[in-house]
Amino acid sequence: MTKEELWQAVLADIQFHISRANFTTWLANTEIISKQDKCILVSVPNSFSKEWLENKYNKLILKALYNINNDIKEVKYEVKPCALKTLDHLASTDLPKPKLEQLNFQEFKINKKTNLNPRYTFDNFVIGSFNELAQAAAWAVSKKPGLVYNPLFIYGNVGLGKTHLLQAIGNKIIEKSASKNVLYIPAEKFTSEVVSSIRNGTIESLKAKFRQTDVLILDDAQFLAGKEKTQEEFFHTFNSLYEKNKQIILSSDRSPKAIPALEERLRSRFEGGMIADISAPDYETRLAILKTKGQEKKIDLSNETLEYIASNVQKNIREMEGALNSLAAYQKLNNEQLDAKIARKLLKNLISSPPKIVSPKIIIQMVAEFFDLKERDLITPSRKKEIVRPRQIAMYLLRNELKSSFPFIGRKFSGKDHTTAIYACTKIKKEIENSEKFTDEINLIKQRIYSQSC
Amino acid sequence: MKITILKENFKNGLNIIERITGKNLTLPVLNNVLLTVEKNFLNLSTTDLEMGINWWGLVKTEKQGKISIPAKLLSSFTGLLPDKKIILEAKDKTLFIECEKRKTKIKGQDPEEFPLIPKIENQEFIEVDSYKFCQGLSQVIEVISSSQVRPEISGVYLLFQKDLIKMVGTDSFRLAEKTLSLKNKIKKECSLIIPQKTIRELINVLGEKKEKLKIFFSPSQIMFELVMPEISHPQVQIISRLIDGEYPDYQEIIPKNYETQIILEKKEFLNQIKTASLFSGNINEVKFKINPKEGKIEIFTQSSELGENKSYLLGKTEGNPIEVSFNHKFISDGLSNIESSEVIFGLNKDGGPAVLKPVGDESYIYVVMPVKSD
Repeated sequence: MTKEELWQAVLADIQFHISRANFTTWLANTEIISKQDKCILVSVPNSFSKEWLENKYNKLILKALYNINNDIKEVKYEVKPCALKTLDHLASTDLPKPKLEQLNFQEFKINKKTNLNPRYTFDNFVIGSFNELAQAAAWAVSKKPGLVYNPLFIYGNVGLGKTHLLQAIGNKIIEKSASKNVLYIPAEKFTSEVVSSIRNGTIESLKAKFRQTDVLILDDAQFLAGKEKTQEEFFHTFNSLYEKNKQIILSSDRSPKAIPALEERLRSRFEGGMIADISAPDYETRLAILKTKGQEKKIDLSNETLEYIASNVQKNIREMEGALNSLAAYQKLNNEQLDAKIARKLLKNLISSPPKIVSPKIIIQMVAEFFDLKERDLITPSRKKEIVRPRQIAMYLLRNELKSSFPFIGRKFSGKDHTTAIYACTKIKKEIENSEKFTDEINLIKQRIYSQSC
Repeated sequence: MKITILKENFKNGLNIIERITGKNLTLPVLNNVLLTVEKNFLNLSTTDLEMGINWWGLVKTEKQGKISIPAKLLSSFTGLLPDKKIILEAKDKTLFIECEKRKTKIKGQDPEEFPLIPKIENQEFIEVDSYKFCQGLSQVIEVISSSQVRPEISGVYLLFQKDLIKMVGTDSFRLAEKTLSLKNKIKKECSLIIPQKTIRELINVLGEKKEKLKIFFSPSQIMFELVMPEISHPQVQIISRLIDGEYPDYQEIIPKNYETQIILEKKEFLNQIKTASLFSGNINEVKFKINPKEGKIEIFTQSSELGENKSYLLGKTEGNPIEVSFNHKFISDGLSNIESSEVIFGLNKDGGPAVLKPVGDESYIYVVMPVKSD
């Protein structure tokens, strides 16, 4: 006999011994939680029911149980609130919207338990060749969490939809089975939780919290870099979840290899599942994204304007959204249809100030910094190996990023011959083609250069 | 049971416990009050199965015992008695009442049928000033909506932290936070959500009392206890369930900076909003326009049927020119909860939240979201 059947039999018996009103009041929403040897644990909806059943009906219930199963000697009761399920479906069937829209606190929409924002779904995620693989992997994971790609590691530059994809997986899993324990956490928050739990001595409860998740989503994993204790905590959490076949999903702005100061054992684990990257979207996809976003926000812009945005904001979807928003605000305010000319004027500071103001000085400075050298070392004609290579990289960057002439590059490094510069550039270029790791290194330096200059 | 009690004392007790009775049809015993006599005390208790109220009064006891009696009937009847001694006697589910020239019989029910009010085992408690505590609660409770769509914000959130108590209420359009300081540090930090109804009852019953209020916790229950002024025995206990759920991270929505802020005279501001509200039609929109150069806030409402109203106030202003619309009710609600004579009104653009807070009092803050008009 199952627990449910047992309890049904008990209730069927008891209903003849007490009044109808008492029966519905005190025995509503009760059930057997567990059965251990001779003891039965019954869940009740509130403390009033608990008191009443313990003190008034205990004998009755015990007798009914005993009649069915002679082993049972004891019944215990526990309060489990149940009538408090969130009525989400009620919230969505709002009254027809009045002309005036009362804004509310957006933060409240974020699910407190999972940290997920319901705004991010697969439905409003635009797929293109640049993110196809990542999307497909994410979709597969959301169908069978823990079974297909574990861990799933998604990387790509800022503003390309990593967080969107990550949260969409979480939302999809929750939608399919609400009982799944999903937790979304940015790495930075993970770190601060670890730090504060170490301070308060509650590290054990933190461990327990992370280890009982079914799906753990860690966003911006690159911020774990250099935080040893956090990495250690995450490592153990990772292992414990992985062993139980629980899904782990990570994102970062670069591939695991390129995250500096990440412990080897974590790196190898990150690489153990599926790695998918999101690159910059092509022109057609950008246009498609703009159209979808426009529809979503009920912004009506001419095709010409959208095309203008798509062709000018190239690398970052978030910036594109920003451009869209500011045009929409302008249009709403002035009540006039925008043409490309006004759009150009409005988006001037967004578009025409891409961080292209890189000077040779900045490149040399950054390369030196990256390799922990002094600027002067790079420029002096030393032939030490640890200096030669960074110098070659700097030359390569000067050539590629600034299109400087070879003689100019030669002059910059205390009057070297232009052939030296040519040799350096070809050498580095070849190495980039051959070594993945080296490419990442160069990209890292480039990132630093551009983040410095804007 | 048989006791003698002063009418005034008895009536006081009934007033405290009767309000939560009389709304239950499925279990008629919930319309009753349970009278229990033990030693020198008469205990009255009522419950609606979400909360329970206990009251104790000193009486002259001849015989111990208990009975359950319809609460409303007993209370209305007692109200009409002269201010004299009353003799109460229970025999066979019937209560006999004798007072001066009157003799009355009220039919009751088996006391064993009356629900048992849960007890809290934990003996640790926090002590607060009853008056200040209830005063604080009344500043946040009006904000809460009675909708059950989101149970976790249908109650007052209490956070006990070091030597502070934070009380928070919200309906997701606005939020009020009150901070009370305690004399003693709390050993353990904790937070809980108390049903709105319990808080209303608490304010009604204990709002005017100047005594110390003790608060006891358990994982699913909370108990407020007021001790008798004469002897150390509880006088009133309010026991309630807690709302199960996690309160949103409300701290994040309180803006740290404002685009524009203006300091206004509260009474005049409230008055102008009330005037303006007459012309806001059924959409309740009132528009504010602040011009920092002139140090002036303009209040504007308009209705196609009724007409329009424009007024302005002067105040100390910082920031940029701004124009934002609100539901006038939300603004006047916030102002009514502020006690100081001057108020800071901080606004943000692009649909960001605005803030009302008293000048020179950091303990209260009211956050409100604007309306977006087409």
